[in-house]
Amino acid sequence: MKTVIAILFFIICGPCMSQPNKNIAASKMVKIDGGSFKTFYVSKTDKPIIVKPFLMDEHAVTNVEFLEFVKANPEWSKSKVKRLFADSNYLEHWKTDFDIGESNKNIYNSPVVNVSWFAARAYCAWKNKRLPAIAEWEIAGNAPPKNTAYTSITNYIMQWYEKPSLPVLPNVKSTYCNTYGLYDMHGLIWEWTFDFNSFISTGDSRNTTNDDNNLFCAGASINVTNREDYAAFLRYGFRGSLRGDYCVSSLGFRCVKNIPITNKL
Amino acid sequence: MKKYVKMILAASLLYGCTNGNIAAVDNRANIDNSAKPAVVKNNSAANGQSIFAVSDTFQTQNKRNLLLSSLSGKPTVIGMIFTRCGAACPKITADMKNIGEKLNANREKVNFVLVSFDTERDNAGQLQMFANEMGLDKDWLLLHGSEEAVRTLSVLLNVQYEKDAEGNFSHSNVISVLDKNGVLAFQKEGLDPDQKEMTGKIEELLK
Repeated sequence: MKTVIAILFFIICGPCMSQPNKNIAASKMVKIDGGSFKTFYVSKTDKPIIVKPFLMDEHAVTNVEFLEFVKANPEWSKSKVKRLFADSNYLEHWKTDFDIGESNKNIYNSPVVNVSWFAARAYCAWKNKRLPAIAEWEIAGNAPPKNTAYTSITNYIMQWYEKPSLPVLPNVKSTYCNTYGLYDMHGLIWEWTFDFNSFISTGDSRNTTNDDNNLFCAGASINVTNREDYAAFLRYGFRGSLRGDYCVSSLGFRCVKNIPITNKL
Repeated sequence: MKKYVKMILAASLLYGCTNGNIAAVDNRANIDNSAKPAVVKNNSAANGQSIFAVSDTFQTQNKRNLLLSSLSGKPTVIGMIFTRCGAACPKITADMKNIGEKLNANREKVNFVLVSFDTERDNAGQLQMFANEMGLDKDWLLLHGSEEAVRTLSVLLNVQYEKDAEGNFSHSNVISVLDKNGVLAFQKEGLDPDQKEMTGKIEELLK
């Protein structure tokens, strides 16, 4: 049965697989259609946010890719990085400043994790790219899998959330490919967004906000537009718990960029 | 039923996380305080913790370009606002004014800075108008900058904000105090009429 699924996956996801493995560091980008986006927690009267089309890395930035960046920008090496920009867990799984480590060979092409928001932004800027906004990431991530084994993205995500993390982080492109051609939007790591510190709720929201009625923490999800989407609860909650210098072993990133004007149809 | 349980779990997780977040801010403040003598002694950019390391350029209400590092040498009281804000922002500003008044003669030894979330509408002219409305004297710095610059500062100051479709902002209300080296020394979240704690911390930094 597993083989059948694997074959099905291969056939259905064929176009996504066209990049051979050796090109995995080429960081291909795919076009994401824009559209209107409504956060799951907003009240019905809130207007949706309009998102313009953009390009997004087809997979998360890998350890090998990040190493290139660190070599070119030594101020982002483990020993040189400013504590303001990355906590002490920064790249803690790497052997040294410029060496991922021979024993870590199996994660060379796995998403780089233990990177702060500042480091992720610096990487994207170095590539003439940027971090995606939450709205962009959510639009991209909500596209259904090409793999028909999963009929519901929410079911798939919840299965992942329920699983304990693996001792060795799998390589990029090891989970599913969605209809945009993006890999591993869920199922491998959490990803940084530019505006991760967007105002959702704070622990003491009762006395600090001007929007109490729209908040799910104090308001017990009264205004949640899609009550099914508890996966999004977790994602937004995780983002809300982060700070820019945090380096977490399940958190990486991928970059986006605006569509160059000459390429517009 | 199972779904409900999960939602409650998720909600409680969120609650726990955000609480943890605030606790972390407090921890850092404590660490920074205890590390202060060493910082002053070797002046080594405050062990890499100084917010002045940010290289973004802001513009003042007088159309002067400003790097945050130019605030060094004095403690800085800093808040983030937008001038078209209904209720909370004038309150933050008023709280900061109060802090200034309570400092009395020490007032001029402290920078007072407001930074706008509204990168589109709050230009220098608008900020100057807001300063006049709020009765802020020329010693106040009202800053605007690029979206990147403002987001970066908000991340460094643990201020959450989000722009809505109408161009207004939902945001947390935080007043931060930086020491003279640009290290976050103290933060107060929420609108609090009593700034005794805040002024106490500032006076400690002036010692």
